[in-house]
Amino acid sequence: MNQAVISCLHANLPAVEAVLKDIELQGITNITCLGDLVGYGPQPNEVIELIRDKKIPTCQGCWDEDVVDGLDACDCSYPSQLAEKRGHFAHQWTTDKLTKENKDYLANLPYSIRKDKCLFVHGSPNSQHEYLLPDMDAFAALERVENARAEILFCGHTHQPYIRELADGSIAVKIKNAASKDIQEKEIQLPMRRIVNAGSVGEPRHGGTKATYVVHNEVTNEVKIREVEYDLELTCKAIIDAGLPPIFAWRLKNGFEFAEQAEDASHVCER
Amino acid sequence: MIERWALVSGLKGDLDTYELIQKDLKKTPGNITLFVLGDMIGPEKNCNRLLHRLINPKSNDLQPWCIYGWWEEQILLESGYRGDQRAEALRINKGEEVVKSLTNAVDKSFLDWIAALQFGFVELDCGLIHGSSKDVGENLTLDTPPLTLLDRLTRLQVNRLFTARSKQQFHLELTEGIVNSEVEDLNGNRKKEQKVPQKAVIGIGSGKNYTLYDVGTDNTQFLQAGYKSEKRIMGFGGL
Repeated sequence: MNQAVISCLHANLPAVEAVLKDIELQGITNITCLGDLVGYGPQPNEVIELIRDKKIPTCQGCWDEDVVDGLDACDCSYPSQLAEKRGHFAHQWTTDKLTKENKDYLANLPYSIRKDKCLFVHGSPNSQHEYLLPDMDAFAALERVENARAEILFCGHTHQPYIRELADGSIAVKIKNAASKDIQEKEIQLPMRRIVNAGSVGEPRHGGTKATYVVHNEVTNEVKIREVEYDLELTCKAIIDAGLPPIFAWRLKNGFEFAEQAEDASHVCER
Repeated sequence: MIERWALVSGLKGDLDTYELIQKDLKKTPGNITLFVLGDMIGPEKNCNRLLHRLINPKSNDLQPWCIYGWWEEQILLESGYRGDQRAEALRINKGEEVVKSLTNAVDKSFLDWIAALQFGFVELDCGLIHGSSKDVGENLTLDTPPLTLLDRLTRLQVNRLFTARSKQQFHLELTEGIVNSEVEDLNGNRKKEQKVPQKAVIGIGSGKNYTLYDVGTDNTQFLQAGYKSEKRIMGFGGL
């Protein structure tokens, strides 16, 4: 049985509709969303209402949390002061636009969703703001999955889709303690674990313009990244019409990576 | 001159033990730097005399370099130094009486000094903290999974992590290891083999049990205040 995992919708209604259509065409009814329903994009209420209508289980993303609780991430989330200013503007714009009902919905989203061996989070099991980048330290990546007691960790936040398998691991240790003169040596085998990043539906940062999500076969464990075209012009026009920073439309249209993300994957925002 | 670090924690207001350690260290050869890795205070006894001594060392004392520990975190929480939060974990686990005992054990005039203490020190390639790089209250022990230990070392980007929270004295060295990583993304597949870097986590003990670290040779000695020579004969040299 296949399940679809979507993330980082970012108030981009045409992209969300196109991805949901693509999922429907494949006959998949089991969908999980990893949050960031809002932020950057021009249709936050419409996107939230679509997800609510379809009763898609969703975890809270960093934007969803910040819109409800106020900006509390440190400025590590932004590569420049200009980017930070744009982010703060979009935050305020989104906060003003959202209905109370939709804010309440975001406020009550769970931090994570667990289904058997799968754990679904927005950033990492540690924080909605932590980036699990595809090439981060392999042991640190494995620790995130293992300490969350999962076999497959589904995440988003980076806007870059990937599937990472961590296998054939071991660590040897030498131990000396005050209670004994002997030095003890042992080798610990590490379990095989996977991290699956669903990329972004509403604001791709993979160098192209297509929305991405992933399909996981729960029987074979196979995971596929899917790319979906959507009406880009419609979203870009809505961004301009809404008075949001034009660069949000420009980067979507060109598929350029000028988005806001921290470079240090191990960094967790101080609050 | 041999460079050594004396690593102490969990004094919990015990000035007598602190004086014993100072006495030991004065007899120890080499250039000694004294680090006090938190839990200078606790609910069991009045801590004011010890705190006064740490802040105002006697002329022949080794200057202590202090960080905050779990008990300091609790009093800062309870005293409103961490926003709206209070020491709820302490209250739930130990009860209201212990919360009261803690706040009674420390004069309010010391709170600003406690609040100014750092979470940890990074000296050379070593991290000196109370709990772990994740949380001041995290216990790192001999039974902590090596993957977790490696992560806590990586977070601080250090090769040696000195920790006190568990109260245990140990030296656990990650000697070798490997993990294979395969990433598939829109650009294709890439494989990478990552090896475990040689790193160590050292539990420094608590109260009378403290640790001496020889910076030049990477040797650790687990000592007990007042019984240093006997312990040395047992020979806890470096790995």
